[in-house]
Amino acid sequence: MTTAAAVYDPQLPGGPSAVAATARQVTKAYGSGETRVTALDAVDVDIQRGRFTAIMGPSGSGKSTLMHCLAGLDTVSSGRIWIGDTEITGLRDKQLTRLRRDKIGFIFQAFNLLPTLNALENITLPMDIAGRRPDQAWLDQVVETVGLAGRLKHRPTQLSGGQQQRVAVARALAARPEIIFGDEPTGNLDSRAGAEVLTFLRRSVDELGQTMVMVTHDPVAAGYADRVLFLADGVIVDEMHAPTADSVLERMRRFDGKRTS
Amino acid sequence: MLLRTSLRSFFAHKGRMALSLIAVVLSVAFVSGTLVFSNTATSTFSKLFAATASDISVQPPKPADDEEPQAGDKPATVPAPLAQQVASVPGVKTAIGQVMVGNAILVNPATNKLVGPTSGAPTLVGNWTDTPRNPVKITSGHVPQNSGELVLDADTAKKAGLGIGDKVRVDNATGQHPYTIAGIATFTTTNPGAALAFLDTATAQQVLLGEQAYTSVEAFGDGSRSNDRLKADTLAELGSRYQVKTAAEQKADNTKAIGSGLDFMKYAMLGFAGISLIVGGFLIINTFSMLVAQRTREIGLLRAIGGSRRQVNGSVLVEALILGVLGSTLGVAVGLGVAVGLIKLMNAIGMDLKASDLEVGPDVFVAGYAVGILITVVAAWIPARRASRIAPMAALRDHGTPAEARSNLVRTVLGVLLTGGGAGLLVLAGTADRAGTGGQLLGLGLLLTLIGFVVLGPLLATVVIKVLGALLPALFGPSGKLAQRNAMRNPRRTGATAAALMIGLALVIGSSVFSSSAVSSASVQIDRSVGVDYIISGGQAPVTAEMMDAVKRTPGIDHVTTQENLLRTKVQLPGGQNARTDLTAVPASFFGSDFHPTVSSGAMDSIGRGSLGIGETFAEDHGLKVGDRVTVDYGKGRTQTLPVGVVFQKGGLLGDGSFVGLDALAQVVPAAEQPPVWTFFAKAAPGADVGRTLTALQEALQQYPQLTVKDQAGYKELVQSQVNTLLYLIYGLVGLSITVAVLGVVNTLALSVVERTREIGLLRAIGISRRQLRRMIRLESVVIALFGAVLGTGLGLAWGVTAQRVLRDQGLGTLSVPTTTVVVTLVSSVVIGLVAALVPAFRAGRMNVLAAIATD
Repeated sequence: MTTAAAVYDPQLPGGPSAVAATARQVTKAYGSGETRVTALDAVDVDIQRGRFTAIMGPSGSGKSTLMHCLAGLDTVSSGRIWIGDTEITGLRDKQLTRLRRDKIGFIFQAFNLLPTLNALENITLPMDIAGRRPDQAWLDQVVETVGLAGRLKHRPTQLSGGQQQRVAVARALAARPEIIFGDEPTGNLDSRAGAEVLTFLRRSVDELGQTMVMVTHDPVAAGYADRVLFLADGVIVDEMHAPTADSVLERMRRFDGKRTS
Repeated sequence: MLLRTSLRSFFAHKGRMALSLIAVVLSVAFVSGTLVFSNTATSTFSKLFAATASDISVQPPKPADDEEPQAGDKPATVPAPLAQQVASVPGVKTAIGQVMVGNAILVNPATNKLVGPTSGAPTLVGNWTDTPRNPVKITSGHVPQNSGELVLDADTAKKAGLGIGDKVRVDNATGQHPYTIAGIATFTTTNPGAALAFLDTATAQQVLLGEQAYTSVEAFGDGSRSNDRLKADTLAELGSRYQVKTAAEQKADNTKAIGSGLDFMKYAMLGFAGISLIVGGFLIINTFSMLVAQRTREIGLLRAIGGSRRQVNGSVLVEALILGVLGSTLGVAVGLGVAVGLIKLMNAIGMDLKASDLEVGPDVFVAGYAVGILITVVAAWIPARRASRIAPMAALRDHGTPAEARSNLVRTVLGVLLTGGGAGLLVLAGTADRAGTGGQLLGLGLLLTLIGFVVLGPLLATVVIKVLGALLPALFGPSGKLAQRNAMRNPRRTGATAAALMIGLALVIGSSVFSSSAVSSASVQIDRSVGVDYIISGGQAPVTAEMMDAVKRTPGIDHVTTQENLLRTKVQLPGGQNARTDLTAVPASFFGSDFHPTVSSGAMDSIGRGSLGIGETFAEDHGLKVGDRVTVDYGKGRTQTLPVGVVFQKGGLLGDGSFVGLDALAQVVPAAEQPPVWTFFAKAAPGADVGRTLTALQEALQQYPQLTVKDQAGYKELVQSQVNTLLYLIYGLVGLSITVAVLGVVNTLALSVVERTREIGLLRAIGISRRQLRRMIRLESVVIALFGAVLGTGLGLAWGVTAQRVLRDQGLGTLSVPTTTVVVTLVSSVVIGLVAALVPAFRAGRMNVLAAIATD
């Protein structure tokens, strides 16, 4: 990891091309005085372009907060964040909204889809909102990749949980965002459906060159990633490249052991 | 335990309850305000009458049952010697002959303006008497002492700017009588709004009655006998020819008379209460339905751990009860304000009620609470039943937005039957031969179509919004698409919300079709059958010969024509049976160029030759045809047998009345006993400028301020303004119902926004802007409002057109659909939608994205 004190400049060579999102000295605190709780404590992160990054950590470690800040859903107390070469800290709501619409894709744990729209309408919703026409060839490819071709006219209530998450993945991919954030995207699925969705996420990185960041507490899910960041008490305590479910589980155990000791 | 959960739940949702509360408060306020007002008015007047009534009053004989008192007839009198006769009854201390008439007016000769109230309250002129219970006392000047002096009441004098020494004229059928104000009398009790003027007794008798008589004799006892005893003794002394009334009986009579005057106001106010109750009911049903839907899991849990259906049902009803009690309490308080407002209104039109004398009886609380609690509990009943049907399994199911309620078959069949039946009745009503039957069918059809539309609302919501909303995605992109889908996702809720608006708008459209048809029908009739150019109508006093002469002398006037009305005259038909008809006596020249209504059979000019003219409906009802002989009974034993000479077609301007020639009338009724003229007509000479002649007429009649002169255009405007007066009341009702309906739309939207928190969060996360989000909610609101407006317009048009068909023979022959009103209604429903969405849209825009999407 880079040293905490170094200030990132996206204009420097090797910076923007390889990095899709950057956080520098990001601190997020709630409350003030004695009741002050620090969720993130001077975190530095670089998310590599075209890679699958997982963020792990026990409950309350700040992993969701980190993701929300990186995705422009939450504001930071101090520090700076870039998506691509756009600094998002300090942007107004309007600009942030546009940034989320055009550059970021989301997959949430549950309630990803609007019940009043069918699968296809849900997939194209971000582009509809932006007033852009979807790229038909790309859309077909995405739909093909997630295996939804026969179910595009179905309403979310007519789809299984796994299918619903695949629609959400397709929606995130369809707009070709710079980066996709997943917040426990398989948290509500059984292991088979979860494996299916994770496979699609993996394929979208490998075959479509998508940048993916996923918050999870499931070592199996983290095993699909290229790199795992471990968060504890608002600080990045470790990272692992080319993880497997076993190695992540092993690391988590040590981590728990250290915490309880 | 149950009560505690209900209480907690009530206060947890106090924001949501607030709107329903407003509806309850409004209804209760109108009910209790009306009661407080009429209690106050009645008690004020009973006090007034109790303070001023004589112990016994001897009044002219009551007209026989089959003899109608004729408006403007000379006042009934008792002979002057009766006063002495009454005074001689044992126990009577004094008996005073009183003269008091209502058929004269007061005019300020300096300005030729009317003195006294112009808004319905009477002007009473009489003799000055010194009774022990005089409602007025002289506060300056002195009592009238000769035939040139007059005493005026202080309030009227102040309003007219008159004082002692000023001139006042009394105008009545016998002419103009000038006086000088000698004294000012002030009310010692509440002034009921009338203007009072007093002359000395001899002058009053001569000028007002034309004979040595009184209109009543008021007697005061010496205290030795009860009033009932005095009455019995007086009756024994006088025989039963005269009416004798005790103080209590006079009070009851007078209170009843005032009461019926206030009835109109009372019914209008209760109409307001009724409308806000009905519309408020929808609001309450919706609020509780949504609360129940939101708490599905909670209720399921309650059932899973062993709560009974009855307990669940009860907990919802208890919440409604809390709302009802709270709403009623506030409502009664606001009602007092309404009552004070009404009293101020009455003050403005001259009735002297005091807001400090508010009479709040127990009936106010009983009625207020009964209305408020009943409406909330009844309206909450349906949602409560639905809540009790929630299965324990609901607790375990994945939550999210509550399942969409499918409009079931029963509802559809019922709705179609009601609407179809109602529509059938409307068609029957429109084709019914008789207005009476048609009216009943119309009423029933109106009710059935209304209920049918309310029942069908959810089904119609799906269909109509699909059509209405089809444009939205094209016009407004994704916001439009989402708005359309959202409006359709809970048809039952959309239906109920729109129904509240529908009722108000159906009333607007229905009544405007009716009124616009009335105005254009009158206008068509005037153009078709009226040949005279001017109509001159008197006020409180009849038209005199001098007035007619003044008109005749005006340059540009060719001639005048008059009419004398004999209301509800008894006629004997050829078969021997009796009937009553409003008979108008007209000169021979009346029909022809002056008035030319459409004739069904016979010849119009036969009336001038001693025949009778009758209306078609009257002819049909009694099997009369031209040539039949009818005996007219003019009262006092004067009868005359005349042939029917002409039958006028129904639906004409003259209504269904009968006509007789003045010459024929004069053969049996002496001129002095003929009814006075209240309205007469004038025709401009050929070639005269109608407008300039109107100005000349107005100048010529300047000294008769009670007369109004209208040309045909002016008369049409008058008809319009009379219709408008009714319309304003209806618009008031409608305004209220729309206000409550807007609250309903706000309510529905606010709850939808809360319910869809996570959806809104998701939309914001994936990049919908605040602006797009607000637009989505605004459009949903507009779609709901427009849906209500479309249903309301459809219903209103059906009602209005049917009403016109029903009354086609009663002067509503021409259908006129006010397109402007229809367009304005539809456009304003869009505005209503936008206004209702203001707060919910703002709140949705402000929603914290993170909190909305946070998984729990």
